[in-house]
Amino acid sequence: MNRTTQSDKAPVAPQDFAAVLSPQSAPEPAPLELSATSQLTTGLSLLSAALLAACGGGSQPGETFQSSSPNLGPATNPTLSPTTPSSTTSTELPAGSTPSPSPAPPVTSASGFNNYPLATSDAQAARFLMQSQFAVSQTELAELRSGTYAVYLQKQFAKRLGQLGWDWLESRGYSTADKYGYVYTPWPADYMVWSQLFAAPDSMRKRCALALSEFFVVSMQNTTASFLWRGHAFTHYWDTLATNAFGNFRKLLEDITLNPAMGHFLNTKGNQKEDGKGRQADENYAREVMQLFTIGLNQLKLDGTEQLDGNGKPIPTYALNDVTNLSRVFTGYDLDNAQGKNSVDIIDANNRVTGNKVDSKESVQRPMVLDESKHSTLEATFLGTTIPAGTQGAAALKIALDALFNHPNVGPFFAKQMIQRLVTSNPSPAYVARVASAFNNNGAGDRGDMKAIWTAILLDDEARGPQGLTDPSFGKLREPMLRFTQWGRTFGIKSAQGSWKVFDTSNSDRLGQAPLRAPSVFNFFRPGYVPPNTPLAASKTPAPEFQLVNELSVCNYLNFMTIVINWQGLPVYDADKRYIDAAVESFDISVDYSKEIAIAEDAVKLVNRLNLLLCAGQLSQASIDLMVQALNSKPLTQGSPEAEKSSRVRGAIFMVMAANEYLIQK
Amino acid sequence: MTPYKSSSSSRRKFLLQSANLALTGAGLPVALNLAAMGQAAAFNANDYKALVCIFLAGGNDQDNTVVSYDAESYNAYKAARGQIALDRQAILPLGGVSDGSSRQYGLHPAMTGMQGLYQSGKAGIVLNVGPLVAPLNKAQYLDQSGKFPRPPQLFSHNDQAAVWQCGEPEGATIGWGGRMGDLALAGNAGASTFTCISLAGNTAYLAGKSAVMYQGSAGTGSVRINAAYDRSFDSTYIASAVSQLIQKPSAHVLENEYSKVTQRAMAAEAAVARAIATGDAANGRDGSGNATNPKFAPFTAAVLNNNELSSALEMVARIIAGRNLLGAKRQVFYLAAGGFDLHDNLVAGQQKNMHGLSNALTAFYETTKLLAIDSSVTTFTASDFGRTLSSNGDGSDHGWGGHHFVVGGAVDGGKMHGYAPPVGAGNLADGVDAWQVGQGRLLPTTSVDQYAGTLAKWFGVEDTELNGIFPNLKNFYGQTQSGITYPRTLSFMKLS
Repeated sequence: MNRTTQSDKAPVAPQDFAAVLSPQSAPEPAPLELSATSQLTTGLSLLSAALLAACGGGSQPGETFQSSSPNLGPATNPTLSPTTPSSTTSTELPAGSTPSPSPAPPVTSASGFNNYPLATSDAQAARFLMQSQFAVSQTELAELRSGTYAVYLQKQFAKRLGQLGWDWLESRGYSTADKYGYVYTPWPADYMVWSQLFAAPDSMRKRCALALSEFFVVSMQNTTASFLWRGHAFTHYWDTLATNAFGNFRKLLEDITLNPAMGHFLNTKGNQKEDGKGRQADENYAREVMQLFTIGLNQLKLDGTEQLDGNGKPIPTYALNDVTNLSRVFTGYDLDNAQGKNSVDIIDANNRVTGNKVDSKESVQRPMVLDESKHSTLEATFLGTTIPAGTQGAAALKIALDALFNHPNVGPFFAKQMIQRLVTSNPSPAYVARVASAFNNNGAGDRGDMKAIWTAILLDDEARGPQGLTDPSFGKLREPMLRFTQWGRTFGIKSAQGSWKVFDTSNSDRLGQAPLRAPSVFNFFRPGYVPPNTPLAASKTPAPEFQLVNELSVCNYLNFMTIVINWQGLPVYDADKRYIDAAVESFDISVDYSKEIAIAEDAVKLVNRLNLLLCAGQLSQASIDLMVQALNSKPLTQGSPEAEKSSRVRGAIFMVMAANEYLIQK
Repeated sequence: MTPYKSSSSSRRKFLLQSANLALTGAGLPVALNLAAMGQAAAFNANDYKALVCIFLAGGNDQDNTVVSYDAESYNAYKAARGQIALDRQAILPLGGVSDGSSRQYGLHPAMTGMQGLYQSGKAGIVLNVGPLVAPLNKAQYLDQSGKFPRPPQLFSHNDQAAVWQCGEPEGATIGWGGRMGDLALAGNAGASTFTCISLAGNTAYLAGKSAVMYQGSAGTGSVRINAAYDRSFDSTYIASAVSQLIQKPSAHVLENEYSKVTQRAMAAEAAVARAIATGDAANGRDGSGNATNPKFAPFTAAVLNNNELSSALEMVARIIAGRNLLGAKRQVFYLAAGGFDLHDNLVAGQQKNMHGLSNALTAFYETTKLLAIDSSVTTFTASDFGRTLSSNGDGSDHGWGGHHFVVGGAVDGGKMHGYAPPVGAGNLADGVDAWQVGQGRLLPTTSVDQYAGTLAKWFGVEDTELNGIFPNLKNFYGQTQSGITYPRTLSFMKLS
């Protein structure tokens, strides 16, 4: 969780674009000496993944709504994963095997919930799509408007899980331990995650996975966490989030706890019991699983506000002793070494077997395994739960994760942050309480049903009603990586070769943010970040995404978008290869403005289209007028040259994406 | 597809419209607020001073930075640390502490530059600094009655970083760097934007009641928004519209705040670029990447290589070199280095960190000396927290107090300041465990307020103003408790 410094480099002029995404500034892995292995964490191994049973399926007919919590329809019966890993691996799991489609249960309205059950305009429909996925298309607008929001959600929940990132890596040839050194780098995971953000068909699931990746944070930025098969490890972590995104929180919690990428990131991997001579269990995961992944620092009410003691002070959820005790539970784990230890040949530049070997890639896919001899069997007391001395590791883990999962803080703590990611920085306490109630009980008695969470967030009156459109504090700043994703999806982004070689965009002269590359486990920004020297500071009102906003980042975002909008895509090197060989530059990743160019001569029509697709109609008339006026300063007709129309379209897209009425999503 | 390639049009002049916009409305909140704070005692500043904070993000492992060196302490250290202990032969000796005891410390082997600064009296070390509300001994720490307040959210990264910088946990909006900036604003008239400069992202440390953080670029100082000037997308009108749109005030609070940051960026960009260009007119780089301006020569290619802190400190030196153009008499800088949260891989990680820190601080000091400003620039370290003395196998866990460096010509260097805590990681109520609260987590014997207050006083803050900046400082007034004396400020700065 080392918070790294923001690096920044010279601003990039358009003609320098190649430098922005080039190997010089974000080098592709150079061929590594084989001895590099010795610098890396070794000891990887195989494992068997308790993967991701996927969510859902099997919904039953609805029941009538009874309580004040939203009735989300009875949902699936979440099976808590066994603490012993199952033998199923993600690769054995056919993509799309889950969830099984089921009849949509009725979603009833309640106070504060689902009183705006359907979109009555394209703008309303676009608003919903922007909150629930990455972008808006006319096809999706039509599909959404053919029924209720609830029906649309049911369709998304029932969509087949798209291709796993892991399988994509396989299909792209990243599994060979050869001279190109992919076994030593995270780059394939960058390509993988951008391919999913830009192009995955199950976009709501992937949007939810991205939100989860900012809550259950692991990061490729942490340079101390160098280990073999990093690209595969972070890809599998992403798959874990995506697979569980419509499943159950308890299973997700267990899956990320035993995930090798998390094991590396927060040091459960290799964590050993006390040795009686002073060495203690590593506390990192025990602390952060409480502070960040489940309960937070202070006791909360259902509505997410803090409980206060008699002196008006917040009540801590845990103390140092709880951390030290809980840390014993996470001892004894390491990568699954059962198969594949040093089983993969490293191939040299001439494709000859070198005789050197590395562990198989499955070592970063299978859940970490327990070595009882390294597991602490001291009594562990935390959060009022006691694991008796002598308890075996698997049983201890179950007790610990159950205790965390069942803590009353989890619902409001998780709910509020997911609302912040999808809808608004400052949900009302009542909104948080409604979503937390859905977490606590999905209507069928199940706790932690993720589908219930998303439904409660997206169908809440606060998200759907018109009040937010006029409330001067509603909404959130769109994250830079979401703006970029939205631009790509809105304009049909494609990778001609399917290689999606988008480099790390986290340098501040790019987007200052990249998926799976938070500076630390504290994410890109804190849920409680309050921008200083603003009216928000006076009222201590958070605006989390503003932690990324400063004099440097606002300029760099605009300069980055100037380039990619103008160039209609991203140039990459050797798009047809997984490595850089001849350094042949091409615009492999490109967008298509032809629909906009077709209406370009009508500036009003053009801006209105962009306003709908990019802003859900949230631009002010004054801004629209300003844009139209600027565009019309160079009159165009149907017969104007394509280049002039294209220029106008690019200018229009840029103006929209630069406007603060776009940047703040209401 | 043939991608359109933007012509690189000349961007030599501001559009009149955008220049006007930048100077109206909320573009200069600092200047507007100046009148309101007229009663605040301003620095009597004809001279120039800069205070540079280096935040070691993640919680620096103090025990392998300033290392117990006398035989008895070293043996206790070695026993608790096991395989993460440093070899005694490799430690760079610093000599004794000033409390008359037999305690000795040394530096991490990678800190040869820092050892030189220390031995030449340009660097001092302050031992066991951390957040405290008031003097606190172990019995008081363990007392559950609430009679003895502790800082909030101990051992939590983000919260303790905020407590160090702002005196309160996550969500803090005013820091002591910014509060000093408030006092500096009057003397910085016309240059208020450049009072509090971060090169490491947003930090409430630099936010005052009036003073506003300015985020600079370690690479170029400032960044120009290309599409807002001259012609963009083949149109001067679009450039003009962009300039208006991105600075547009709004009734929506988030929209408006975003625009205000853009306004500040545009208003400051040219001035920063000018100051840096003038300040280091000759600061080119030769073929090996070394500075051609001899004043920046200490930032060699080797020092800058793979060391973001060095690059950022070089930019600070360039800004300081151009200070007369910016016009600020007092500047507070914030920089950060990452990679200190070494729960694992501590030995290798710390080698890299200490090497980078030592090189960067040494090059920066040498450059300020060549710029003849070394006695006016003080650099100090801060961190989330110290760490456990106990090993967790391959690293150490979150602690509390830690040891810190202060560097500059005005530092009373070559000394250990503060109290040297005994080396313990056991469960005794006192003795060797008297100043640790579990696994060697140090209970601070110097508070952040005392440490920072000392720096503030050097910076020019009047003693009467200190309590306003550091609300807990009133609890430290020279009293002695459990053998530790808690002066209001320490003696590690030479006050002229």
